[in-house]
Amino acid sequence: MAKFLGINRLGRLFQAIREAGGLKQAYLKLYRNDDLKTGKLIGIDKYGNRYFENPYYFYGRNRWVEYSPHVNMDYDGSQIPAEWYGWMHYKTDLPPIRDGCRPKHKWIADHSENLSGTKEAYMPYSTTPPKVEAWNPNKK
Amino acid sequence: MAGREAVKRAVQQVRPILSVDREEARKRALNLYKAWYRQIPYIVMDYDIPMSIEQCRSKLREEFVKHRQVTDIRVIDMLVIKGQMELKETVEIWKQKGHIMRYWKESQDPKPTDFLSKFIQGVN
Amino acid sequence: MIRAPLVKALGALGSPTHQIASRAVRTSAVLAQTPAKAPEKIEVFVDDIPVMVLPGTTVLQAAAEVGVEIPRFCYHERLAVAGNCRMCLVEVEKSPKPVAACAMPVMKGWRIKTNSDLTRKAREGVMEFLLMNHPLDCPICDQGGECDLQDQAMAFGSDRSRFTDINYTGKRAVEDKDIGPLVKTVMTRCIHCTRCVRFASEIAGVDDLGTTGRGNDMQIGTYVEKLFLTELSGNVIDLCPVGALTNKPYSFVARPWEIRKVDSIDVLDAVGSNIVVSTRTNEVLRILPRENEDVNEEWLADKSRFACDGLKRQRLVAPMVRMPNGELQAVEWEGALIAVAKALQKAKGQVAGIAGQLADVEAMVALKDLVNRLDGELLVTEQDFIKGSGIEVRSSYLLNSTIAGLEQADAVLLVGTNPRYEAPLVNTRLRKAYVHNELQIASIGPKIDLSYQHNNLGADPNLVKDVCNGSHAFSKVLEGAKKPAIIIGVDVLERPDGAAIHATISEYCQKLKKPDWNPFNVLHNSASQVGAFDVGYQPGIQAVLQAQPKVLFLLNADAGKVTRDQLPKDCFVVYIGSHGDNGASIADAVLPGAAYTEKQAIYVNTEGRPQQTLPGVSPPGMAREDWKILRALSEVVGKPLAYDNLDELRARLESLAPHLTRLGELQPASGGESVAKPSISISSTPIDVKQKELRDYFMTDAISRASPTMAKCISAVNKQQRQDEARSCAAV
Repeated sequence: MAKFLGINRLGRLFQAIREAGGLKQAYLKLYRNDDLKTGKLIGIDKYGNRYFENPYYFYGRNRWVEYSPHVNMDYDGSQIPAEWYGWMHYKTDLPPIRDGCRPKHKWIADHSENLSGTKEAYMPYSTTPPKVEAWNPNKK
Repeated sequence: MAGREAVKRAVQQVRPILSVDREEARKRALNLYKAWYRQIPYIVMDYDIPMSIEQCRSKLREEFVKHRQVTDIRVIDMLVIKGQMELKETVEIWKQKGHIMRYWKESQDPKPTDFLSKFIQGVN
Repeated sequence: MIRAPLVKALGALGSPTHQIASRAVRTSAVLAQTPAKAPEKIEVFVDDIPVMVLPGTTVLQAAAEVGVEIPRFCYHERLAVAGNCRMCLVEVEKSPKPVAACAMPVMKGWRIKTNSDLTRKAREGVMEFLLMNHPLDCPICDQGGECDLQDQAMAFGSDRSRFTDINYTGKRAVEDKDIGPLVKTVMTRCIHCTRCVRFASEIAGVDDLGTTGRGNDMQIGTYVEKLFLTELSGNVIDLCPVGALTNKPYSFVARPWEIRKVDSIDVLDAVGSNIVVSTRTNEVLRILPRENEDVNEEWLADKSRFACDGLKRQRLVAPMVRMPNGELQAVEWEGALIAVAKALQKAKGQVAGIAGQLADVEAMVALKDLVNRLDGELLVTEQDFIKGSGIEVRSSYLLNSTIAGLEQADAVLLVGTNPRYEAPLVNTRLRKAYVHNELQIASIGPKIDLSYQHNNLGADPNLVKDVCNGSHAFSKVLEGAKKPAIIIGVDVLERPDGAAIHATISEYCQKLKKPDWNPFNVLHNSASQVGAFDVGYQPGIQAVLQAQPKVLFLLNADAGKVTRDQLPKDCFVVYIGSHGDNGASIADAVLPGAAYTEKQAIYVNTEGRPQQTLPGVSPPGMAREDWKILRALSEVVGKPLAYDNLDELRARLESLAPHLTRLGELQPASGGESVAKPSISISSTPIDVKQKELRDYFMTDAISRASPTMAKCISAVNKQQRQDEARSCAAV
């Protein structure tokens, strides 16, 4: 009966608000993530992103990330590092913290997010020499 | 044959396009104006342009007034035909928003005419 | 009468090609001398069209008179007849064999058939033999598209091949020669027309090229490994009918059908050679000569031809202003114009202008008008000349005998000039007169190689006095000559006693004068000089340095004669020009102008012929045409000049000096000059010239100094000299 009336959902909402840490925090979370879910914290990566899972939700929505607070609203899918990418996209069920056989080499470069639209974005440039070589007054 | 040519040239008789006299040409121009005037609210709505109906009407008036000095009936007829084509293209939504907004030409700078601005912009 | 020059020419051309050369002299002498009483013309028939020709005319010339062109490879109008390519074989009625049209003089009543079966068969056969040993590398050949052999093989060759050697055993292959940084050789393509050999020995006067071997083993070359270094070497590229000699800097750059051609004028010397500028995608690719009988015939000097890559280096592409830290910084046009205008307003009339070597007449007039409107008077040329009233009469600074006229001279005295490097195409005229016209040449100045024999009288300037008062032996020669000429170099007139030398010679020339011949000549070496004098510039920068101006305009003045130390500390130097060179580096404001391939501008050559350049490409970056810069500046200062476009400026030019806008025409300068005798007398410092050797020739102005090809030429000359020295040491 309670299930039929959706009262259990109401209970889940209360649980989510409680887990968020109060009405205000829940509102802020909802504002930032457009979603308010309860779930089990699976791990935190070195950038501070928190990964959750709750099998109650349908497949595809049962794993999610709450981005590190310092990025504020400027979060982006590319901020998820490569090791968590597999878990987030269901390539593996083993999250990196529990997976012992992930390769760890010194030469693996640090993850960088997509820099499009920022100052550091890659800008293609011409490699052909100019037809006219300009005079440089400061040479010699 | 040659004589007929000479006569023709002397009386300056030319074949009319549509109108035979000034009055008829004037009527055609007015009809075109009215047709545009009635269509403007629909144009503004259909194309969703950032212009009010009043602004469009003043632009319509401006476009007509631009040719105020035209007296040749054949030229008036030609302008009316072109205006009708424009209207048809507009009403049938063969145009896009940008084509309508081109009447206001906000993105085009007038070409410089005096020497110094031409020099600085590097145009001849 | 004919034998005399022949013998002399043989003395000069002691080469294995003397047989060719002797023929050259004979036929050319026949052509050159218009006989006093016209001999009777004889009638011949070319393809049944009757034509009356002078006896001695060749079959080929007779055919040309009725407009029938006979194919040829070795024949060239300006070279001796060789008759070795056999392409011009034509049938002559009642002749047992076809005759070589280029070498055979016509006889009375000959019926020449230029399109008969026999003629066609002969051509086909010759073409087949030529192609038998010619590589099929047209797709990678630089001559492709402008190749005589390609064209004539299409027009006159057979339509099928009998060449069956597919094992690559039969075709002749010849090693390539390294003959310098300008001419690339692919000797396998050579068809042995010997045009290059004849050009080198007849026109350029260096017997570096020749043939070795006979028949199939014949080779064109330099005998020993040697560079073909002369100031005219580029012309063999034009002469070569195939791709054996091609333009090295231009190799693999473009095809003739891709390029646009613009007729223009060369400004790197004062001859004003007519050129064709080949451009593609807004880039000057090469420069070719354009035919003009009065100026450059169809030759072009190497600097003019190959220095065009200097147009793409060291360019000024943005206006620059010197910042308080002493560095030039690129700014927008508004900023630069305002900076200059501020300085001009502060100057209060203490404004001066110096026009350099490459300044065009339009810009000089605009500068003059601007300086005058700012209450300034001082307008000078960077190149020095005699002071005072010397330039008031136009004929006192022109080459009055005209360049084409020098061909007819029979006695020439060169005073302190080396025409071979100062004006190579004037030198070819003198050489032509020497070979064909028994021209006697003497020079006062250092010992130099002029490519022909001349009598060096010594370097003492007092020799000028001796010659001019008739006490010297050469005076007799000059006075006995029908068309004598005295050519003075500008290096002499730069001397403190230049005015005295000028006056002495011009007085003597009054005596030598003939009704239609003015023997007084000044040979300039900067293209702007005559134009500057015509519009009222004064020579020499000393006046400007004495006046200590507050603002100094340098219009293309790059010779480095003005230095910062000579100017007052608060002098604001404005440089207007195309290249960053001596002028721009001392300037406080640099306004980028257009080079001669980028503007429509008038230049007046040393004989006083105004000609105009046409723009082939647009000025790079923010550069503008020079006169427009001055016009814009005048408006910012608040004293706008009265012309907005080129036509109005030309009208102003016409009011200033009407002859300047009659392009291409030579205005005969009035001859009645009697220059007042200056007080200074001729000193005894020996006369010197600046360009003595080939290496001095290549870099003389901002464009050629920026050219990598010219730098290569100089290092090639130095290398050749080192080799020669080593070789002579080994011989000893």
